[in-house]
Amino acid sequence: MAQCTRKSALLEELEAAWAIAKKDIKIYYLKAPTLMFAILFPFAMFFAFAVGREMPVATLVPGLVSITVFFSASSIGPSALPLERRIKAYDRLVCAPISPYTVMVGKVLSGAIFGLVIGSIILAACLPVFGLQIISLPGLLLGLILASFCFSMLGIMLAMFPRENPGDVMLLLNFIRLPLIFISGIFIKIEMLPYWGQVASAFSPLTYANDLMRLALEGASAFDPLLSAALLISFSAAFLYIGRRIDLKFRE
Amino acid sequence: MPSAVELSGLTKRYGEIVAVDHISFEVKEGEIFGFLGPNGAGKTTTISMLTGLVTPTEGTAKIFGHDIRKEAKEAKRCVGIVWEESNVYPELSALENLNFAGEIYHVVKRQREAKALELLEKFGLSERKDGKVGGFSKGMKRRIAISMALINSPRLLFLDEPTAGLDVQSNIVIREAVKEENRKGTTVFLTTHNIEEANQMCHRIAIINHGKIIAIDRPENLRRTIKSAQSVQVSFEEDAETGEAELGKIPSVRRVIKEGHRFRLFTEDPPAALEGIWDYARSHGIRILEINTLGPTLEDVFINLTGTAQAGAGGRS
Ligand SMILES: Nc1ncnc2c1ncn2[C@@H]1O[C@H](COP(=O)(O)OP(=O)(O)OP(=O)(O)O)[C@@H](O)[C@H]1O
Ligand SMILES: [Mg+2]
Repeated sequence: MAQCTRKSALLEELEAAWAIAKKDIKIYYLKAPTLMFAILFPFAMFFAFAVGREMPVATLVPGLVSITVFFSASSIGPSALPLERRIKAYDRLVCAPISPYTVMVGKVLSGAIFGLVIGSIILAACLPVFGLQIISLPGLLLGLILASFCFSMLGIMLAMFPRENPGDVMLLLNFIRLPLIFISGIFIKIEMLPYWGQVASAFSPLTYANDLMRLALEGASAFDPLLSAALLISFSAAFLYIGRRIDLKFRE
Repeated sequence: MPSAVELSGLTKRYGEIVAVDHISFEVKEGEIFGFLGPNGAGKTTTISMLTGLVTPTEGTAKIFGHDIRKEAKEAKRCVGIVWEESNVYPELSALENLNFAGEIYHVVKRQREAKALELLEKFGLSERKDGKVGGFSKGMKRRIAISMALINSPRLLFLDEPTAGLDVQSNIVIREAVKEENRKGTTVFLTTHNIEEANQMCHRIAIINHGKIIAIDRPENLRRTIKSAQSVQVSFEEDAETGEAELGKIPSVRRVIKEGHRFRLFTEDPPAALEGIWDYARSHGIRILEINTLGPTLEDVFINLTGTAQAGAGGRS
């Protein structure tokens, strides 16, 4: 409107994305049960699958941090979004003068921040307990940040299916998430997988996130860290694009 | 006058269902425009297309000259929307809800803070500004939803059945607030199936049924278009058993409805009907207590056009 001072278009979009992220964090993420669950769940997963296997601690911790980020960044957004659809609050975002990508990025941002924070807490707790050190700080930061975004994006992409029941979206999400943890070198080293498993692992963003985490904590990685980073960014962009296509499809 | 909304051939199909069927009209800047129709007529679908929630199957629309698809952001920036359901965030306080609405409409901080307080004051919710909206009554939530739509001082306000299901008190508050916004220059596009509301509030009304516009005019003109819905209301000193049947025999009378102890005679020619009534009274030796001629109500227009009988319309003879 005339009386408003107009900001630059990009700044407007960024501010709107941040407003959405802040609101989601306030409503969905800063809840005691959510936080407790986010911290305990990866441990439970991890002990269920890793204990008893003869794996050195140093190889276990990167995997633990990876799946922590994986689950915490991708869980809350896709369960909250269907609820917002149900009360038609999501319609408000769709009708606002902001890009549809901005709405998704705002939703992704809150999940990514959550994944980053929970992942860092788990890591900070593991380092002294297992007497580990951070060997590559750039690898760690790159891994944590890009993985958080990428996994959060995966969840929001699936939440673009116009379902008003969180269970529907979570079912679909777990259908993708659970197989990924077995083919991404978390519990089973990629070299140990059958041939098809090794091929499939190349298409899992978790493979590259975990590889960066291994670089950060073990000092060894299977891929060039820049390649892993570039692939995580590409996966995120692809998820964003596919999410938008899904959304458009159902508005026709 | 420039047009606030311009629809041409706007259509929405859901599979076999044609929810909105090639509608074209114009809403002028400064009007309160009513969109009146029965359940399932296509009112919400029309608003959903105009506000960017669903993609039209065919046709185009412009809001203040901005094409809703090609210049979606500019079109959306001019509007405020009150949805059919009060889609507030129950976990946030009243103030937080308004603030969030302002943020996603790019209202600068100082301005949205001032506007939020002003709106809460206007809607009598100042004392509850920090209370979680989840604990508010239906009418209070609706007022929050309306405040959220007004936070960006929109040039065009969409309201989808703003007063449905609310008590008289809330209705008055909301209608007055909408009229006041309109006096300040805001164009209003409201849907309703409440004929009285449309009649009281709107400068012009479009009647939609089965996705098609079947009439569009000022409320008084709509009433005038239906000559046959003019009527004469009469009551007699004693109840005549045969009244309904006999009055129906008057040549110019199309049908008779018994409303309590009164008879209502629909006619295109009220003077001729009056003569017939005198003759009837005289020949039966009964006295007339009261006699009125009535113009058609908007409800009559509605029934006539849509063929939907609403409660209160009785039998015919
Ligand atoms: N998402 C959808 N999928 C399929 N059909 C739909 C959808 N939305 C609306 N319809 C159909 O389109 C028609 C018009 O619905 P709409 O909600 O626009 O009516 P309305 O005039 O707003 O009615 P009401 O007064 O009940 O709110 C109805 O037949 C409805 O069933
Ligand atoms: Mg409706």
